[in-house]
Amino acid sequence: MNPAVHLDGITKRFPGVVANDDVDLAVERGSVHALLGENGAGKTTLMNVLYGLYRPTEGTVRLDGEAKSFDSPRDAIDAGIGMIHQHFMLVDPMTVWENVVLGNEPKTWGGLRVDREAAREAVVELSERYGFDVDPDATIAEISVGEQQRVEILKALYRGADVLIMDEPTAVLTPQEVEELYGVFEELTEQGKTIIFISHKLGEALSAADDITVLRDGVNVGTVAADGVTREELAEMMVGREVLMEPATSPQEAGERVLEVTGLSVEDDRGVEAVSDLSFELRGGEILGVAGVDGNGQSQLVEAITGLREAASGEVRYRGESMRGKSRRDRIDRGMAFIPEDRQERGLVMSYDLTENGILGSQHDPPFARVGRLDWGAARDHAESVIEQYDVRPPDAEAEAESLSGGNQQKFIVGREFERDPELVVATHPTRGVDIGSTEFLHDRLLDLRAEGKAVLLVSSKLDEVQGLSDRLAVIHEGEFTGVVDPATVTEEEIGLLMAGESLDDDSVEGAALHDAADDGADAGIGGVGADDEERAGDEEVDA
Amino acid sequence: MSDSDSEGGRGESVLARVVAPFVDRSVAERLLISVAAILLSIVVGFALVLVSGRIADCSTAAWTLPFTGIGFCYDPVEVYVVLFNGALGYPFAVGDPGLFNPEWTPFNLSFGLTLSETTLLIFTGLSVAVAFRAGLFNIGTQGQLVVGALSTALTVLALAPLLPAGPVAGVVLIVVGTAAGAVGGGLWGAIPGALKAYADANEVITTIMLNFVAANVAYVLVLEVFRAEGSSVVATRYVPEYAQFRPWLFPASSDFALLALLGGIAFIGALYYFVEHTPLGYDLRTSGVQAAAAEYGGVNAKLTTVRAMTLSGALGGIGGSVWVLMSEGRWMASIPDLGFDGITVSILAGNNPLGVLPAAFLFGVLKGGALEIGFRTDVPTELVAVLRGLIILFVAMPEFFRMIGRYTGVTGGGLGGADTVSTTEPDETAGGDGGETDA
Repeated sequence: MNPAVHLDGITKRFPGVVANDDVDLAVERGSVHALLGENGAGKTTLMNVLYGLYRPTEGTVRLDGEAKSFDSPRDAIDAGIGMIHQHFMLVDPMTVWENVVLGNEPKTWGGLRVDREAAREAVVELSERYGFDVDPDATIAEISVGEQQRVEILKALYRGADVLIMDEPTAVLTPQEVEELYGVFEELTEQGKTIIFISHKLGEALSAADDITVLRDGVNVGTVAADGVTREELAEMMVGREVLMEPATSPQEAGERVLEVTGLSVEDDRGVEAVSDLSFELRGGEILGVAGVDGNGQSQLVEAITGLREAASGEVRYRGESMRGKSRRDRIDRGMAFIPEDRQERGLVMSYDLTENGILGSQHDPPFARVGRLDWGAARDHAESVIEQYDVRPPDAEAEAESLSGGNQQKFIVGREFERDPELVVATHPTRGVDIGSTEFLHDRLLDLRAEGKAVLLVSSKLDEVQGLSDRLAVIHEGEFTGVVDPATVTEEEIGLLMAGESLDDDSVEGAALHDAADDGADAGIGGVGADDEERAGDEEVDA
Repeated sequence: MSDSDSEGGRGESVLARVVAPFVDRSVAERLLISVAAILLSIVVGFALVLVSGRIADCSTAAWTLPFTGIGFCYDPVEVYVVLFNGALGYPFAVGDPGLFNPEWTPFNLSFGLTLSETTLLIFTGLSVAVAFRAGLFNIGTQGQLVVGALSTALTVLALAPLLPAGPVAGVVLIVVGTAAGAVGGGLWGAIPGALKAYADANEVITTIMLNFVAANVAYVLVLEVFRAEGSSVVATRYVPEYAQFRPWLFPASSDFALLALLGGIAFIGALYYFVEHTPLGYDLRTSGVQAAAAEYGGVNAKLTTVRAMTLSGALGGIGGSVWVLMSEGRWMASIPDLGFDGITVSILAGNNPLGVLPAAFLFGVLKGGALEIGFRTDVPTELVAVLRGLIILFVAMPEFFRMIGRYTGVTGGGLGGADTVSTTEPDETAGGDGGETDA
């Protein structure tokens, strides 16, 4: 039997770049196939070839063994291929069923009138057939991101798709929605649909796919069955060398007290208390991890420390000096580096090139500013050195920030902040959206800073990241630390409990009762940090 | 575009080179588009002049459509020839066989009027542009100009009796008077800046309102206190002749001084340097494009707002000084709408200080040319205003011409319909996809 999709020796060249080099990809009917690779490995390009957006320079696309030539996505759709982009293309004020039929409406009166009843009926039927729990009459603005994604899938199915291509489908989902999506995958494949999804996350490929094809630098490194491969093997295929999944930490003498937070309360933009009476201290040579479900006051906490938000009460002392009334500028000048969670709003000026972005925060300091003028030559050298050290692609100091992919934007920000020679690094989701090769590098750099005696406050929703790097791990829930634990000995269940707001007393840690409680209470919690999500739907709380 | 390389379109690459300036955004592109815009506006205006000429009554036709014998009251060719030629003082002879007018010198009355308007608009254009770069919409340049002009006039009138008349006193009075205009306009601009920063008041509303306050307070002040004795209009006394910009080379009646224009050009250079090459300029424009990132980078948003509005007001105020010391010689109630024209100049310039010079010059030419049309032809001034508006309208929509550029770039390549789709679609989706696209 022929595979449902067979990409035969696909090569796609752009001027100066070979995005895909003689890639073979065979996908069996009724299977879920993950296309795995780092940022820029050529995954999306390959799928755009399949979807008719690009014409291959060489090679053939075969569906069920039959060679096809697509001039446009319209041809691909007619041949039964549907693509769901990472950013949905839905009309917010319109209802679910209207969005599904949009552009392919059943018509009456000789094509003059949309047959609303028939259209709605068709959508309801389709959604029931695949067990999608979506209200056809709700507007897109009313439903969750996970449901919006199902509407996108319905759209593709309505147009007769047999093969569904999904570009980073979990990027915008909450952990619970990711689980639901895997359920949708099963439902679809049971009914004979074929799914190809693009990802750069190992865990996702391993748990959702039947087969995994790894792309690296545009070349197919290999196709493996998901149940016959380990994380480490996959990581090595992706990166091309052995990857240490666990960062190698070494014991480190804690230095002097760098940050001291006492009784800190911070309000969010609506005036609701987001951080309540929080106290902790952080010493040089120490990494304090803060784990928690997004939106539990992490944003307000780091903003209060870095000077972007005023504290309602309490105090932040930095190297023995009270930061009350100290501006953001004062704190930058005193050696605070800050990797913000919202890189496109705060971390980078999107319309500036990297040279200009490289001095953001240092625009008044030498060597960039001398006697009231900016030395663009020095700024350019600086940007180029960050680009080189942190492997920012494309390596072009004149590239505008908005032209870079999310992972490369992040690498540039991290590089800029680390190279500030800080005493304190406040890092929020430092590796969000960054591929594993670069993640490993950024982790090493964080550990270097720690070895140099710098203090690091690491806020991350990746549980393995905070657990692997931190010397102490604080778990935050509704603006309070529910516990500060030793990351080396704590279990995921215990962290999950803390994230759900439960307290952890010594008795229950040993007791069997813990596990029951963990199952009930911590599901949300563990999921919330365990899945390495990047641009989550939850981002809206950032600046809300 | 890149995609079709594989199809080996040689013609396409040549075409791409021709069309590239329209699709890329550069200075050359901007100039090209402006020329195209003016040409297109002339085509449209041509028709308008003909239609109005057909409606109007006249004894002899000024222009006859070739081969048809249909006569029109206004000659559209003459209108545009006079508009541009006249604004420069007729460097090209009208009606004579020789193209170049041998009697022409640049130092004529018409060209002086054109450059006078240009000079004043440089200052108001810069005023609006600098606020724009900080993300602030300053509609209040007019008010800042009024206040600056009054500050200048009163300062010079107060100081003049204390100094011995002469060129030295003239230099001192011009410098001090201009500084007074900058301070007056700057303080007037700082008010909406502070209101915005510390009271969250929308600067569009406050600056518009302060225009009325400025105009009327100045009017009452002059009417009641500073009015020149025996004057039939609401105006101050004239400042001494030696304290005004000397016309140098140009006829005095042109109200133009080369020195003032050179001063304006110096301000353009200084402001460009400030915005692009100083830390404060970096703060200012970063606040303008992405306020959250500026705040992250340690920029004090409130202070930057006040600073930008003060600087903007000071430039508007200097515009008022130049108006008093170069054009009018005194403060008077009927100040022209230079501040409002400054908004259009700034937008035409893309809010780039360097672009203010050609934009202000275009306005100057249209102003000088309109006066000439009034002198030379029967075309009503209202129609001339429409033609000016058309030119500005077309120049102000470069995106329209970029669109034409892109459109011709794809369809002009001799590619089939299917290829057209495949070459355009990737660009669109890549843009729409944003963030995490591979390759």
